[in-house]
Amino acid sequence: MTQTAAVASERPSLETAGDTARAWLDANLPQGLREDILQEREPTFAELSEWESKLHKAGIIGATWPTQYGGGDLGLRAHLDISREIGRTPMPESVNSIGKELAGPIILAVGNERQKAEYLPAILEMRNIWCQGFSEPNAGSDLAGLRTKAEKTDDGWVINGQKIWTSGASKSSHCLLLARTGSVEDRHRGLVLFAVDTSLPGVDIREIKSIDGARHFCEVFFNDVVVPEADMLGSPDQGWAAATRVLSIERATNRMHRAWRFENQLQHLVSACAENPATRRLVEHDYARPLAEVAVNIELLKGHVETLVGSLIDGNEIGPRGSLPKMFWSEAHQDFSKLALDIVSRFPPDLSDPLRAVKRRMEDIYIKARAETIYAGTTEIQLGIIAKRILKLNWER
Amino acid sequence: MTTEYDLSPEDFADTAKAVVNACAEAGTTADRIALLADAGLTGILAGDSCGGMGLPVDFAVPVLHAAGAGMLAAPLLETMLLARAFSGTQDDLATAIAIGHTKVTIAWNGELDGAAGTVDRAPLAEDCDAVLVFRRDGSAILVTLGAGAEVMAEDTLDLERPEARVVITAAEGPELSAETVTELQRIAQILRSALILGAAEDSLERACEYAQDRRQFGKTLVSYQAIQHHLARQCLAVETIRNSIARSLSPHCEMPVDAARATFIGATGLGAKTAETAIQIFGGMGYTWDVPLHRHLRFVRTLAAQGKAAELLDSVAQQLLSGDNIKKELQRAS
Repeated sequence: MTQTAAVASERPSLETAGDTARAWLDANLPQGLREDILQEREPTFAELSEWESKLHKAGIIGATWPTQYGGGDLGLRAHLDISREIGRTPMPESVNSIGKELAGPIILAVGNERQKAEYLPAILEMRNIWCQGFSEPNAGSDLAGLRTKAEKTDDGWVINGQKIWTSGASKSSHCLLLARTGSVEDRHRGLVLFAVDTSLPGVDIREIKSIDGARHFCEVFFNDVVVPEADMLGSPDQGWAAATRVLSIERATNRMHRAWRFENQLQHLVSACAENPATRRLVEHDYARPLAEVAVNIELLKGHVETLVGSLIDGNEIGPRGSLPKMFWSEAHQDFSKLALDIVSRFPPDLSDPLRAVKRRMEDIYIKARAETIYAGTTEIQLGIIAKRILKLNWER
Repeated sequence: MTTEYDLSPEDFADTAKAVVNACAEAGTTADRIALLADAGLTGILAGDSCGGMGLPVDFAVPVLHAAGAGMLAAPLLETMLLARAFSGTQDDLATAIAIGHTKVTIAWNGELDGAAGTVDRAPLAEDCDAVLVFRRDGSAILVTLGAGAEVMAEDTLDLERPEARVVITAAEGPELSAETVTELQRIAQILRSALILGAAEDSLERACEYAQDRRQFGKTLVSYQAIQHHLARQCLAVETIRNSIARSLSPHCEMPVDAARATFIGATGLGAKTAETAIQIFGGMGYTWDVPLHRHLRFVRTLAAQGKAAELLDSVAQQLLSGDNIKKELQRAS
């Protein structure tokens, strides 16, 4: 039996995908990875990778990918069911979400057979970790202004340029790189996507310390990096179309579990506070309605996610509508993080471990939430997309 | 979307819009109910043995969306709900309601504890034949207006569907069980949200149109990013209401009761904000009586009160803080 076949045999059926995922997660999430209990140390990258590899073997990750590439060949509905259970489980975020939710779908869409066979199983099995080389110092929100140059030579493509805010690059084996073949004035034309091996000569990765103290995102320099022709994804003219597809996926379905993770965070806060008379009184007297408003927002967010999934199942494109759940989630979650910080900042001294755990988690969420209205297109960019592409406002009249 | 009914909810949208427009020219509530009934819209949810179509709730959504957008001055929500609620148990009455012969409304606030009492928030009660009144035990009774049930005009925020108080001295009439009332209230949350969606979307469309026409400092208002962002935020609000309604009615929704409640609470805040923002974008014009945005705002705020949005938010808090959410989650999982 091949490895892929062995994995496929363990996969849940369509009807029971969510229930099976939940049962497996309940039984297998290590105590050291739980986000709702007090941890003495952060999990290591190796521990997180091993966990994700197990998730794949259990059929929880890669559910919608074809079985020939290690996936489960399930539909989007099953993916949503599984995502709900991932969200409800207080486990760490993926360290290879770029591979699984961005690079993988793009390779499936525009990659050739060799690329699919080489890259896709390696992503699911956590042998390859991916980062996304899109943003540049002068092309953050304005992606079409990117300057990283790709010149065709007899040896392949020679890449020169700089990327920034490249999450996870220092731990990545591959970079989904967007570069241009012409000049900056070409804007959306002449953009090309590559799968770049980050160990190639000329790739220089430097970590940037972010406000949460992590060194997750990086700047990546490409100095005369020679990328084989075989590692170009799609044709040169498909670059922008593929990039916008990546972004619409990112905004709409990436981390589909986040409404249910958000709910898990809210319930963790409330249930931890209920254990202590002083904190119970605090939330009941001062925060009941604001917390209820958070609960309502979570339900509204589920409306965005579930309706979008239904629309995709009906064969519709996501397009600019991907901006709606992204914007709603990022602002609602930021609002929650402020409220949660306000509550935990009023905790009494001599806290029990459960209250210390929730305090630490909510403080961490508050700081990390600052990024949520910036990455994957800032709030201002999303508003511009909605104004121009959904409302189709015309300011040239 | 295709359904087992060879129809889709969207098929009703154009008809509803045309009938609501025609209603704007009609002189009385009775005339408007007659137009709606002639088009089959009052009986969409009533059983097919009661002069209705026996369609699921999602078919009523585009109709009430059109009613909200078109500022319909008729108790259409209440008519649809009662034609459905009495189907199967009181078919003659359900038929009379569905075909517009008996004009009905609902007193959304107050409960009877016995045969006498006062209830209010009954839209257009002065133009109706009967009013549904809730009782403390959870059931409800349809009381004929007149002797024993006197309608008294009240100060009202809503201009299209002015609310009235009803003083009841002898409550008699057909009854609905507590179980039917619970279901009626849940459906009302979704359908009120559809009315709010219509009002909000019309407010947004009017604001977009105005911002693209009106010029200041040599440029259209919409040339300014501040205005674009205002409008985009209201678009997000409208789409949030729309998607939440769709989720509440989806067979894949895990907890439809919670979803309907959240949809309505969310719609009241988002819908009011959309109308308020539209007034702001119109500037001084937005504060004039003739620009109808205030009508939408009044309507949404009145619907929030009729549906008890504030009390529902308290119930969400109670459920959350009691740990019931976690218990429900565990039950769902088991």
